[in-house]
Amino acid sequence: MALKPKVYAAHLSMRCSSLHKKQHAHFRASESMNPRTLSRAVPGRYILPFLIGGLFASVSLGQTPGMPQSGSQSTRFDNDFNPAIGMVLDLAGTFVDAESSAADGFELSLRSTELSFSSWVDPTAWAYANVVFAKDEIALEEGAVHYVGFEGNTTLRAGRFFVDFGKQMQAHMHALRTFDRPAVLRAFLGSELGGDGMQYDSWTTAGEATIVRWSLGAFNSLVTESDAELPSESAFRPSLSELALTARLTGYADVSESSTLQIGASMRYLPDFEIHDEANDVKAIGLSNTVFGLDATWGWLDDTNTKGWTAGMEWLAMKGDMYGESLDLGGGNFAVTPINDSAMGYYVFVDRVMDKSNSAGVQFSSVELPQAGMPRLGEFDAYFTHKPTEFQRLRYGLTLSESEGQEEARLSVQYTLFLGPHAHGVQF
Amino acid sequence: MKTLLTCLLLLISFTSAHGATRVGKDKLNVVATVPDLAWFAEQIGGDRVTVTSLAKGTENLHSLSVRPRTIVTISKADVLLEMGLSLESTWLPELVLTARNRKINPGEPGRVICSSGWSALDVPTSFSREGGDVHPDGNPHFALSPLAGPTIARNVLTGLILNDPKGELVYQKRFDDLSRRLDKSARHWARYQALFAEATCCKKAVVYHMEFDYLLAFLGLETEIAIEPKPGVPPTPNHLAKVISAMRGESIPVILTAAWSKNKQVTMVATKTDAQVLELPTMVSGADWASDWFALIDGSLERIRIGYGLPELVEEPVLGEEPH
Repeated sequence: MALKPKVYAAHLSMRCSSLHKKQHAHFRASESMNPRTLSRAVPGRYILPFLIGGLFASVSLGQTPGMPQSGSQSTRFDNDFNPAIGMVLDLAGTFVDAESSAADGFELSLRSTELSFSSWVDPTAWAYANVVFAKDEIALEEGAVHYVGFEGNTTLRAGRFFVDFGKQMQAHMHALRTFDRPAVLRAFLGSELGGDGMQYDSWTTAGEATIVRWSLGAFNSLVTESDAELPSESAFRPSLSELALTARLTGYADVSESSTLQIGASMRYLPDFEIHDEANDVKAIGLSNTVFGLDATWGWLDDTNTKGWTAGMEWLAMKGDMYGESLDLGGGNFAVTPINDSAMGYYVFVDRVMDKSNSAGVQFSSVELPQAGMPRLGEFDAYFTHKPTEFQRLRYGLTLSESEGQEEARLSVQYTLFLGPHAHGVQF
Repeated sequence: MKTLLTCLLLLISFTSAHGATRVGKDKLNVVATVPDLAWFAEQIGGDRVTVTSLAKGTENLHSLSVRPRTIVTISKADVLLEMGLSLESTWLPELVLTARNRKINPGEPGRVICSSGWSALDVPTSFSREGGDVHPDGNPHFALSPLAGPTIARNVLTGLILNDPKGELVYQKRFDDLSRRLDKSARHWARYQALFAEATCCKKAVVYHMEFDYLLAFLGLETEIAIEPKPGVPPTPNHLAKVISAMRGESIPVILTAAWSKNKQVTMVATKTDAQVLELPTMVSGADWASDWFALIDGSLERIRIGYGLPELVEEPVLGEEPH
């Protein structure tokens, strides 16, 4: 079951203060992901291998014509060929001091628990899935197959996955350099942005030390965390022109013996969405907007590959229908007027890796928020990350933000545990 | 949007055509994960191969950073030489997946595991992260063993012949020549063994990480304690106190470290125990003097001898790489 594009409108109306209440994206679980449905489905999955009695699953003597055919393993308890399974626990403690915000005070929380699976399906395709538990909800954040059977460097990805936009949007929250995604990305794209679709991805070399990669994605829908809180609706079947699109072109080069430079340009086009004024039950339909982005990242590593510097920036512009304003037409009649405008924002950062266990950095982001009056939000982050081992990470952060004269400060401690393998379909 | 979709189709056509072309070449393109393997490939392959090493020799191989040049290099490889024993497991599988070069996929003839046939030290009896960053197949730093040369050379030879059968005679001849030099060096290095065996003072060693286990085992030195309490786990103050106590108790004169692990804890322990910090390369090219594998082993053994204050070996005929 897919979400209709119209629900996208929800995240455009986010308030300034809500930018500080970050959480994982929650795609609405489809029918097959519902825990109750799962519990009903489980017995069937076990009965089938029992029936086939250790023979090839697809040629079972116990299966009569018309019975479901299984492609699963041939023995009931055999652990061979199972996918790699991993888990990430992301815990956070925050103290927020805000002039006017419900987020004021302490909070200790398990931000998210991610269960991941990945495996080769055949010699030309591998698949992965990330199931996330956050805020007492379960959601399939990503579930996609990568087909790599083409000649050359082309990959075709299909399923549910995060968009290929800029340097960060492919990554889950727990994998970021900072506690949260930069304000400009949250405001224009959402804390996490993914959808059901397909992506074509390829790269080529340009000389001995440069690679150029490009991708084009088409999605049935693109939803952010706020959108998923809206009721799901029946499956939406968009026409070709109603597909949400993404594109990215990036070049990555060695610029010296010790340093690299990556530059890129990205685009996200969202067609035919609606803004719904739920209080008055009126909506504006047929809206669209586009987000463009440019990014540049320079990295330097010493000879041991354990000390280094990274500096980077992303600049984004949003153009099109950005938010809606309710109009009282009198006589109990209301209308939503979409505001077609443009907004810009950026973030810059510098990170220092001191050794294989410790790093620190600062980041500043500024964005014109796509909401009434288009106030500017400025956000400064300072962070120190310590990795006691490869499989755990402790991060201390300070975030200072200001918008329309209102200031907010947040101290955060984030502890992230990586149990077993950790795989996402991230491209450079 | 129609324009965008047209561009998409054009790009797909372009990429498919690009991938289908194969540039002809007359030399076998060999890529090695580390300079040690690259050196062996050059010795055996001679003019029939072009050899590139992904690592420079100074890195911490557990966390090698993949760069654009690395991806380009490996995408064009005919043969990939890897150490194995999961030394490269944190970065090589993803790199090969990204590079999309089918010749070097696991199990293909172009993928050569150079530790095949080697009996590893420190093979864990149980797999748990309680033991730190445990390598399931045992200690992977086997190229630092003076005894590893023949195993590496044999695996490289097999890999080259498998991928370039026409060059078998050349490879075999050069391998035989290298084997003679390895034998000669082995006799020289055995004298260090004898020296340490005769010395009553030098039976224990202290390291930061366990990368020198093979070298120490060759000399009959037992690792008394590592500054890392478990592989990959930084030391706690309590553990550092244990290290200092152990070093004082055993009068151990040196701490062996790699360039990446010569840190403030090592310096502090050395200061408190009046020990010398002996920074050794873990790969060929990891130091100015370690320009080839003979020099790496020669130089490491000699520096350990000096660190322990043992007498100099009596001069022998010049060993090491001989001109072809």
